[in-house]
Amino acid sequence: MPPHPELLLMLLADARLPAAGHTQSGTAEAALAHGLAAAELPGYVSARLASVTCVEAGTAVVARAVLLRSGGTAQLADVAAAWAARTPSPALREAARVQARALLRLADRLWPEAGALQAVRELIRPCRAVVLGAVAAHVGLGAAALARLVGYDDVQTVCAAALKLVPMDPAVVTGWVHDALPDIDQLAATVAELTEPASIPAVGSPQIEAWAQAHAATSRRLFRA
Amino acid sequence: MLEHEDHPNPHPHGRALRLGICGPVGTGKSSLIALLCRELAGRLELAVITNDIYTDEDARFLRAAGVLDADRIRAVETGACPHTAIRDDITANLLVVEELEDEYGDLDVVLLESGGDNLTATFSPALVDAQVFVLDVAGGGDVARKGGPGIERADLLVVNKTDLAPYVGVDVARMLADARAARGGGPVIGLSRTDRASIDELLAWISGVLATHRAGMLMPVDPGPMARHLHAHEHAHNH
Ligand SMILES: Nc1nc2c(ncn2[C@@H]2O[C@H](COP(=O)(O)OP(=O)(O)OP(=O)(O)O)[C@@H](O)[C@H]2O)c(=O)[nH]1
Ligand SMILES: [Mg+2]
Repeated sequence: MPPHPELLLMLLADARLPAAGHTQSGTAEAALAHGLAAAELPGYVSARLASVTCVEAGTAVVARAVLLRSGGTAQLADVAAAWAARTPSPALREAARVQARALLRLADRLWPEAGALQAVRELIRPCRAVVLGAVAAHVGLGAAALARLVGYDDVQTVCAAALKLVPMDPAVVTGWVHDALPDIDQLAATVAELTEPASIPAVGSPQIEAWAQAHAATSRRLFRA
Repeated sequence: MLEHEDHPNPHPHGRALRLGICGPVGTGKSSLIALLCRELAGRLELAVITNDIYTDEDARFLRAAGVLDADRIRAVETGACPHTAIRDDITANLLVVEELEDEYGDLDVVLLESGGDNLTATFSPALVDAQVFVLDVAGGGDVARKGGPGIERADLLVVNKTDLAPYVGVDVARMLADARAARGGGPVIGLSRTDRASIDELLAWISGVLATHRAGMLMPVDPGPMARHLHAHEHAHNH
């Protein structure tokens, strides 16, 4: 009997998942370096959920849908192209591709038999959202659960990095995560039904993209992106 | 993939030796790697991975030293978690090791420098085949005696900058003897870049490890994150 999808969701959402998540800040380090106040981080998290993270979640959901209707590498490449077109910052695309490699490496070990992952492996430099979509397709994770996973992971990435950059009572930060949960649900509702690459929301955030670009060029940073 | 089929790996022993260099901040890890590149690049195919807390400073230092083709020196950024990146979640490092091995099919040794950390940080045996722990005399003559996983159980302990001993009031012979005692006789080298004999001793050790690796006889050993059980026991008795 396959494991309950809830358990798989926990596995994938766990910060202890060895996929180099500790190297990422969700551009929070750059935001703080460029004048965002720590107290504004909850707003930053919401802004991400409505923009860059919405693109990520939409991409993951569509990649899953494409694979479930037996699409192959060519169809997946269309999803990846739609994602790239909606992610204008080279730094953000690079970060997503590096994270994809880490996740794919892990997924290969956990699900060596997955045909969905085979299709991803044949892509040139896949992005993280497509890998997550393929994992979801393989393990039987639903579209809304997948979208929540993407949203939740993004919020936790920003908040965990914030604790390193501007140390404070961790309960406060966990409160931010808790308060962002309705926004994550909202995000899931927005993207869960999507099935076509063209329908992936085109909602970037020029400010986050500019920060991400600046971060990639700085010579003093703790987080890779 | 196809490239590999066209150019079969010339090394019948399989992949390159992965050698970790760890130890506290500033003890001379990057310098030791630069030294090894200078000495070995003529006869071995080398690559270097640095782990930095801030961006890629060590990688830039090594590239600037001009001891190895700059493209063979890559940086892993550890997100303020230098411990994690070499021990608990080694993914970021493994990706770069594999990338280098893929791009340079004939590597003999990949040298990995840990982010300068404290006395307890050691490499996972899933990341490196062998590891060198680097102390220096400037950190004080007592450090070796105090022990810790890297000092006691790394494959090699280097006590670096012995040339500085007269200036910092350290008795090198005594420090080396303490280190050997803490390691139950395991290898210790007192090193200085100004002492040719000590450099040769280091090179001989590396040659030995490489030969063992090529013979398929090298078993990676975990120095562990913990102090030796025996010590805890002795302490308990003292209380
Ligand atoms: N006198 C002397 N100085 C040395 C020797 N080896 C290294 N150093 C110096 O020690 C300092 C630190 O050396 P690094 O190689 O940068 O040390 P590190 O362990 O890589 O430092 P982090 O990466 O910052 O932890 C530099 O100024 C080196 O020139 C030596 O044999 N003798
Ligand atoms: Mg260094």
